[in-house]
Amino acid sequence: MQAGYREILDSGKEYYEIRLDSIGGLGANLCGKMLGELGLKYLDVNSSSFSSYGSEKTGTPVKGFIRYCKKEKEIRLHAPITEPDLLVSFHEEFLVDANGNKYNVEAQKIAMETHSRINVVMLGAILKVMGVDSILPGEEICKETLGKKYPASLENNLQGMRRGYEEVKLIDRKTEKVECDKNNQSQDPKWGYLTAPLGGINPNYGNSISTNLSHSRQGYVPLFIKEKCINCGLCFSACPDMVFQFVKGEYKGRSMMINTGLDYDHCKGCLRCVDVCPVNALVRGVEAEQENLNYNMPNQELLRKPIYYETAGADGYITSESFLTEKRMEGGEV
Amino acid sequence: MEKQVMEYASGNEMAAIAIQQIGYDLMGYYPITPSTQIAENLDVMRANGETDLIMVAAEGEHSAAGICYGASVAGGRVINATSANGLLYALEQFPVQSGTRYPMVMNVACRTVSGPLSIKGDHSDIMYLLNTGWPILFAATAQQVYDFNIIALKLSEAVRLPVAVAYDGFFTSHQKLRCYRFENEKVVRDFIGEKKEEYPFLDLEHPISVGSYMNEPDIINNRYQLHMAMEETRELLPKLFADYTKLSGRSYGKVEGVGCQDAESVLFLLGSSYDTSIEVIEKMRKEGRKVGAATLHVLRPFPAKEISTFLASAKKILVADRQDSYGAGGGNLSLEVRAAMQKCGSGVAIKSLVYGLGGKDFFPEDVELMLEWLEDETKPDFAYYGVTPGDVNQEKDTPLVAPVTRDMTQIGATKVEIEKQESESKDGTLHSNMETLKVTGATPNAVTAMPARIAPGHGACPGCGIPVNLNLLLRGIEDPVVFLFQTGCAMIVTTAYPKTSFRVPYIHNLFQNGAATLSGVAEICYRKQEKGEIPKGDIIFVMVSGDGGLDIGMGSALGTALRGHRLLIFEYDNGGYMNTGYQLSYSTPMGAKSSTSHVGKEQYGKTFFHKDMPKIMAATGISYVATVAESNPTDFMKKAAKAAYYAKTCGTAYIKAISACPLNWNDQPATERKVIEAAVNSCYFPLYEVENGITHLSYDPEKMGKKIPVIDWLSMMGRTKHLQKEQYASIVAKMQQEVDSRFAELKKRVISE
Repeated sequence: MQAGYREILDSGKEYYEIRLDSIGGLGANLCGKMLGELGLKYLDVNSSSFSSYGSEKTGTPVKGFIRYCKKEKEIRLHAPITEPDLLVSFHEEFLVDANGNKYNVEAQKIAMETHSRINVVMLGAILKVMGVDSILPGEEICKETLGKKYPASLENNLQGMRRGYEEVKLIDRKTEKVECDKNNQSQDPKWGYLTAPLGGINPNYGNSISTNLSHSRQGYVPLFIKEKCINCGLCFSACPDMVFQFVKGEYKGRSMMINTGLDYDHCKGCLRCVDVCPVNALVRGVEAEQENLNYNMPNQELLRKPIYYETAGADGYITSESFLTEKRMEGGEV
Repeated sequence: MEKQVMEYASGNEMAAIAIQQIGYDLMGYYPITPSTQIAENLDVMRANGETDLIMVAAEGEHSAAGICYGASVAGGRVINATSANGLLYALEQFPVQSGTRYPMVMNVACRTVSGPLSIKGDHSDIMYLLNTGWPILFAATAQQVYDFNIIALKLSEAVRLPVAVAYDGFFTSHQKLRCYRFENEKVVRDFIGEKKEEYPFLDLEHPISVGSYMNEPDIINNRYQLHMAMEETRELLPKLFADYTKLSGRSYGKVEGVGCQDAESVLFLLGSSYDTSIEVIEKMRKEGRKVGAATLHVLRPFPAKEISTFLASAKKILVADRQDSYGAGGGNLSLEVRAAMQKCGSGVAIKSLVYGLGGKDFFPEDVELMLEWLEDETKPDFAYYGVTPGDVNQEKDTPLVAPVTRDMTQIGATKVEIEKQESESKDGTLHSNMETLKVTGATPNAVTAMPARIAPGHGACPGCGIPVNLNLLLRGIEDPVVFLFQTGCAMIVTTAYPKTSFRVPYIHNLFQNGAATLSGVAEICYRKQEKGEIPKGDIIFVMVSGDGGLDIGMGSALGTALRGHRLLIFEYDNGGYMNTGYQLSYSTPMGAKSSTSHVGKEQYGKTFFHKDMPKIMAATGISYVATVAESNPTDFMKKAAKAAYYAKTCGTAYIKAISACPLNWNDQPATERKVIEAAVNSCYFPLYEVENGITHLSYDPEKMGKKIPVIDWLSMMGRTKHLQKEQYASIVAKMQQEVDSRFAELKKRVISE
């Protein structure tokens, strides 16, 4: 086992720092808040926590930062954590190649099986890896945060957390695939003051098309069964992400626009198209079960293939809490 | 010392706790990030019956300041909270508040002033307040936010001036950490004491006039009184700080520092950066370095004397500003610290760095780098810290997509023809030779041939209704389009720099002013076309706004409509300020919970009916008003085509779409079209148009046998499903009655065909 928070603080390091890298919607913000609060209340340390900030969005990267220190000390650092003692990836998108022990927990699976939220499963796993020798502090904070107002879902969440605590395991880092995608805020901007068009003007019309939105999907993708399609265009009319690629063609002897498939680089997996399709030519599939998305039709308006797709979006999402907290307690996806 | 309890809380939360404990009478506010959580937290307390604070959600900060002013004149204890452009929008009210000498307190969670738009923290907003006659306290930590809120009101009432409590947006407003509050609110209330009014406004036996017209002999004396009050503040503050220390054990000065007693190099910082610097400076001093850091807790009245005493031993000072007074050679803090040191005859060398703008993070390493800058003789006296030059040899981006031009969109999928027809109304009056528009086509299949004027890759939430609605609108308009987006989700997700989704000309302006701005754009376009400076040909000017933008920006939109500029105003109504975490808008359904209308034992959600914006727009007499929903796509696109026709030929046109927000409606992204359909079928959102003054119902759920009770729609969304409970039956009944009467009234306006 890696050194826990207590050993690290006792060794003279001023802070024990945790960073959560996640996608808006998985509950990392609340997880970070609970970690911070339980540190102060139950682990006999001083603590602080905050999330990356931006406008409110699901499906975009969000980061959580938690600091622990000895309780006599005040926490005066307000900057993000860049060299955490514990880095938590809520999404494989954020796996980084770093030194240190690596752990894995099947959070999504456990959450599905226990009808709990991914963030509480992750909380359980984090507590274990941090070296908290009992799940009790986690249970207390869950009861306080989730239990007061919505006791109905509490037992499921507690169970999910316990399983996260029990089932997280050390993995062999040599055989495990790790990828580098830090999505680092501090990297140089595209333009500087010598090169940026004055006044923030952006002359690169339509360049958001080079943003890949695949990781906004939360496990499901729409699958297109072309044989069933009647080319009504309702999927096109319901899609927020301009995913459907229609071309001129012929259907049942009539000249019309023909649906050739989906541009999965921009599909966020909302499944609106599945819901509106009158003939079930679009169905919900579990993304992990699709070897490769054979139907992928790159956006036909692209003049050239982007050299690379950036995985991004607005950089964060938390500005207010109260409504979203209530929503989370009701099991909503935030 | 009084008993205190620990809280794990942020600056905004501590402000809300202080406000609750003080027992204010009224909060007039308009939500703006990052100050919004104060109102949100207080609303939670209100819903739970923990405070009886009157909370008035204004339609903009200017009105919020007006509500506060009125309430303070009437003798109430009044609180406000704002940030950035909100502060600037309300700016003209602040000298009124101070000049007429009515106390109140305002929290400012500091944020950078737009534009280009950013919501992150710096000090460019608070420095606009320097000349308004408000004492300004600046808190560097969440604990200080709490403490200064309590001190501020006592000060305010003692010197009869409004007081601002400022602190860093996000760094202080949002980070949670260990804080303490008094266990018993009585301690707080006793400290502040009873409010005394010299001339009670509501004493009808002794009427007074507030706000006289003054000429030259008098204004200067009024201002001198204000100056005297500031001087009184200067004297009083140390006593208030000391009294507060007796209660809390926490002591404050106007100036605070670490190591300044013998430091040769001193870093002068405001807010959370000072807090961070303490940690680094303490370490450096342990290594024997003669360095220090200092900050201010009082920006007004400026503590020049205290600063010069405090920094007496310093040989070099670096003032780091989180804003710039452009052209002055430093931010306001720099300028005033320099003046203070010069006034006391100190020859100390002072350098200035502008840093951390737009929330650029301040790391511990920055403290060391800034001190290196200070000590390095070769570095200039004034510079920006942390800017990037960029690579001048960088290759220009080649486009990934083509711009969407006239020839690409005129595909003939939607055709507009003019029909002259004679029609007769019920009472037999003849409307002769009416020109009506006939629109054909607009099938969901045919319109797929039109290229997307808004490219994919935008950052809207999965299932968001906004791009769906924009796509439907745009596919009905075959002429070229020029956009203006007001601030809101649609703008944020499409133009995250250095990306943009737009393949046609686009401009953003703040949401008090979009319609006016686009009026200006359109007028110059028509002028240039007349003069032959740009090619002739129809262009449709489209303003896109959320329902929130048409709360605060309603005046501007109505002005544009009344003047009749040839443009189209498109409103996507998701019933809330979604971009900032779902605060109530005037279009939020009654009973809906939002982060400023919580549900609790004392509150059932939003307390008033949704705004009928199409009716308001129709009252301006413009040629075309329509409502649309994605559940009726062909109707939607046909109306877009009509609106475009009127916008280019007659004057202002207005379309409103009901727009799904899975995040804050708290429902499933996949099934949003069904939710929209239910809104239409419940007659909450009837589909109709008002064309040249004649109302036409596009779809009648009653006739189609599809009408459903409003509660059936409300039950589909997490934000309103609590209304199913028996205890809210009367709210639902009121809502149903309102919807029915609006629909009946709408039908009365329809001329039968």
